[in-house]
Amino acid sequence: MLALPLLVGGWVSGPQSTFETAGPVARSQTGLMYVTLIVVMAIFVIVAGVLTYATFKFKAKDESGEKAPVPPQGHGNPLVELGLIGASVFALVIIAIPTVKGIWYTYDVPEAERANAYEVTAIGYQWWFKFEYPSEQIDNVGTLVNANELVIPAGRPVRINLRTFDVIHSFWVPKLAGKVDMMPNRGNHLWLQADEPGYFWGQCAEYCGDSHAVMRFRVIALAEDEFAAWVAQQKQPARTVTAQAEAPRPALAGYTFTNPGRNAPGWTREFDSDPLGNWRKMQAVPSAEDAALIAHGRQLFQEKNCITCHTVRGHEGGGVTAPDLTHVGSRTTIAGGLLENSPENLHRWLRFPDEVKPGNKMWLGIGGMANVSMQGYVHWDPETRSFTDKRNIEVDDDEARALVAYLHSLK
Amino acid sequence: MEATAKASFTGHDSPAKTEKRSWLFTRPTATTGLVSWLTTVDHKRIGFLYGVCALFFFLVGGFEALLIRLQLIVPNNTLLSANTYNEMFTMHATTMIFLAVMPLSAAFFNYMMPLQIGARDVAFPRLNGFAFWVFLAGAIVLNIGWFVKSGAPDMGWFGYAPMTSHQFADRFAGDMSTDLWIMGLQILGVSSVVGSLNFIVTIINMRAPGLTMMRLPVFTWMTLFTAFLIILSFPAITIALVELMMDRSFGTGFFEVSQGGLPVLWQHLFWIFGHPEVYILILPAMGIISEILPTFSRKPLFGYPIVVFSGAVIGFLGFGVWSHHMFTTGMGTVATAAFSLATMAIAVPTGVKIFNWVGTLWGGHLSMRTPMMFALGFIWMFMFGGFSGIMHSAAPADAQQQDSYFVVAHFHYVLIGGSIFALLAGIHFWFPLMFGRKVSEKAGKLSFWIIFIGFNTTFFPMHFLGLNGMPRRTFTYDGNMGWNSANFIATIGALILGLGIAYYFYVMIWTYFKGEKVKHDVWDARTLEWAVPTYPPPAHNFHVTPTVHARDAFWYEKTHQEEIAKEKAAHAKDEESHGGIHMPSQSWFPLIVTLGLLIGAIFFVNHNYVGAIIGGAILVLGIYGWAIEGPGGYHLHVDKEGNVTRDDSH
Repeated sequence: MLALPLLVGGWVSGPQSTFETAGPVARSQTGLMYVTLIVVMAIFVIVAGVLTYATFKFKAKDESGEKAPVPPQGHGNPLVELGLIGASVFALVIIAIPTVKGIWYTYDVPEAERANAYEVTAIGYQWWFKFEYPSEQIDNVGTLVNANELVIPAGRPVRINLRTFDVIHSFWVPKLAGKVDMMPNRGNHLWLQADEPGYFWGQCAEYCGDSHAVMRFRVIALAEDEFAAWVAQQKQPARTVTAQAEAPRPALAGYTFTNPGRNAPGWTREFDSDPLGNWRKMQAVPSAEDAALIAHGRQLFQEKNCITCHTVRGHEGGGVTAPDLTHVGSRTTIAGGLLENSPENLHRWLRFPDEVKPGNKMWLGIGGMANVSMQGYVHWDPETRSFTDKRNIEVDDDEARALVAYLHSLK
Repeated sequence: MEATAKASFTGHDSPAKTEKRSWLFTRPTATTGLVSWLTTVDHKRIGFLYGVCALFFFLVGGFEALLIRLQLIVPNNTLLSANTYNEMFTMHATTMIFLAVMPLSAAFFNYMMPLQIGARDVAFPRLNGFAFWVFLAGAIVLNIGWFVKSGAPDMGWFGYAPMTSHQFADRFAGDMSTDLWIMGLQILGVSSVVGSLNFIVTIINMRAPGLTMMRLPVFTWMTLFTAFLIILSFPAITIALVELMMDRSFGTGFFEVSQGGLPVLWQHLFWIFGHPEVYILILPAMGIISEILPTFSRKPLFGYPIVVFSGAVIGFLGFGVWSHHMFTTGMGTVATAAFSLATMAIAVPTGVKIFNWVGTLWGGHLSMRTPMMFALGFIWMFMFGGFSGIMHSAAPADAQQQDSYFVVAHFHYVLIGGSIFALLAGIHFWFPLMFGRKVSEKAGKLSFWIIFIGFNTTFFPMHFLGLNGMPRRTFTYDGNMGWNSANFIATIGALILGLGIAYYFYVMIWTYFKGEKVKHDVWDARTLEWAVPTYPPPAHNFHVTPTVHARDAFWYEKTHQEEIAKEKAAHAKDEESHGGIHMPSQSWFPLIVTLGLLIGAIFFVNHNYVGAIIGGAILVLGIYGWAIEGPGGYHLHVDKEGNVTRDDSH
């Protein structure tokens, strides 16, 4: 029965497969799953065998068989009953023992390793994740924060405090650990550990509104020295490409954009073939940059009011209700882990946020649709339940190119 | 009927002693036509109404399910918007649970249980009618959203706080989709509790002579347990819903995070109801299976006392496992372990039932008719659902499975493979009794195989989707996650399943009008409902109240015909000397009270408190009228040829 997953091939492997574990917590959970699977399969083989045998053995062969003398009108056998109850209890004890062990093991970092554990706080927002690093303090700023990509040291237990900004979300990285919910007014936590450096897919697992399906994130596990280098880099303020702002030169931005439409995929096979390698590539500063375009983008970032919700530390912007963009150019994904961070995808996200992530705050505003306290791109009229013709923020293709250039310069 | 005919039976040749009553309290007497249905108190007609409505909503819920599956047939599909998809899964679950499976079970409770205990009707016939009309009112309120600006509710059938708050649920000021959901569920709760109290009183008090509790048919036992589960569990969700209604309508802070409310409180209250609800959905199914298997094996149920007792144990333990729906909410180690072990414990009485069903087959002469096919299908599918249930009773393993498609697979195996298969089996099984006609074996079996294959094609791949990391309630997924082929196959399966269900309905409707007429006791059955003189049964069910001598009462009757005939003749005389067969009178008031409730509810949701008060006034006045009208009642007399005459005197 362990071969069953092999028989169905592709159905058990993928970026979020719970069969392909990469750390001790997920391994213990999947191991327990196999224990339960083996026990129920054993019971299944017996009961199904008896049921099949009885069905065919005692089947009336034809009409006359049905009218044959009635069979003995037996009412049951207490010894058989007690025997079966005893056997069921025994089978359940086999599951119960590792279950109880597993509950304590997965609840928190084991005592012996607690001192070595790295602590992170994950906060769920509709519909993205914020990650805070309480042990990484930046002078005069405070705690290091990152969005949608949780970078952790490999081979070391990581204790993650789980919080939420609004509704209930659930933090789930299947290859590293089972999910634990982020509950309002309740401090939850989980722990996980990546055995080796790697790149892992995660996703919100508790229904949290319109865009629950596209609330995703990544976990990137790095060797200790590479992790330290990453932290040092992240603590730096935003990178500045110096040049005078000139007229935008979109032709130089190096890509053509066509809107692929609602729900269109934002992943590529090239990226998936070596995600960690591609993550490393994203950290590097590109050799050639259009300084003028970047400067124009930085200016637009202020003019388009992005700064109200987003922070680019060292540049403009102090908003905390949206992802920190100080090093957004070094992330592999945007829009809550939904799209690869390519210029085309970022352009699409800036131009048509509602087609990427229905109901998102950048498009609709914040404060809840019935009582918008801060309008987004569009002007939502709660009375008529429709958008008015008025646009608060408009980003045309040329402006999007400049913004893409700027954001991608933030390595 | 005519007074002359009546007089010859009763000896009452004096004019009827009916007191003069105002027109307001005149009891309707129509036996056919619209009025007869609107004022009916006949448990069989009410059962039929429940059945028709439940099947209608079953189709509605099924249509919603097909849209969900079509959205997921390929990655990044754009058939439905995110919001529409969320409305679909919210209403699919709410509809299937509250408007399809529960009322379909209630249809059988109503129709079969009084027959199985040899009663003429339930204990409170008008209340029974009321339960049905209130159910219909709740169903209407729940579905109004589709037709108004607010739209249908979209926060999931579980309505987790704070998703139900104004801030997160409302799309504009005065959005009432969530309020309609809250109100609809509360109204349905009234219906369920009223109906259940009625069934409990009926089963405890109105059993035929000789029908001791340990001779009750298992379906009646399961009716009793289900009724107790309903009256004990619905208060929990009622409290939660009232608190939520307070939060939304009057600004209290039970679940309002900004006021220190606790969303986790909602989850506890919801699942203290929600888990017994699972057994409310499955115990009636187990009862039906426990009737069908002995009938078509031609031997008694194996281990009757154990089957009954395990039903009670399931009902009891069902109240102690609710937090296994909340393993991921961070309950801490001890609570998680306790609920984990309690959940495993509940597998024992459930397993016992399966063992006993297999034991019932053993040594029998199995006649493979359509109801038996569905019943055997039930055992197989329920077993699968039970096994995946055991798998996520292990809390650490559940951390990977919870809110993934593995859970979707699990509970559809239990609810379709379990409840729906049993209910479809029950329709086939009792169709001859209810309509005097029988579904052709060929058509019945064909529908079974299409449904069986479609069902497994849909839901078996979902086990793998879940373990491969696909979360529930997602309107889209990406093509690089390894989920494409399983989702595609599941959708094809859903289309096959839909085809099977459509064919099943076609066959049933065709049979209703044109099917083969059946002789008495078509299945060689064992329990008392089959002892009624005609199929369908007359309004008064039995010409003579049966006397029960053994567990399978009808089987005993068939094997002791002379003894029973003598006894019946004696009892007929006895009953006649007491004035004949006593029957409940029809009444308008259940419908009037319900209309008040419906009007009040709709206006309340719209914050139109004048309208709400008017609705409330109709409701209160209706209850007064109900009381003043009095219980009513009339007598029937049956002659030796089985001709029935009505006698409205007292």
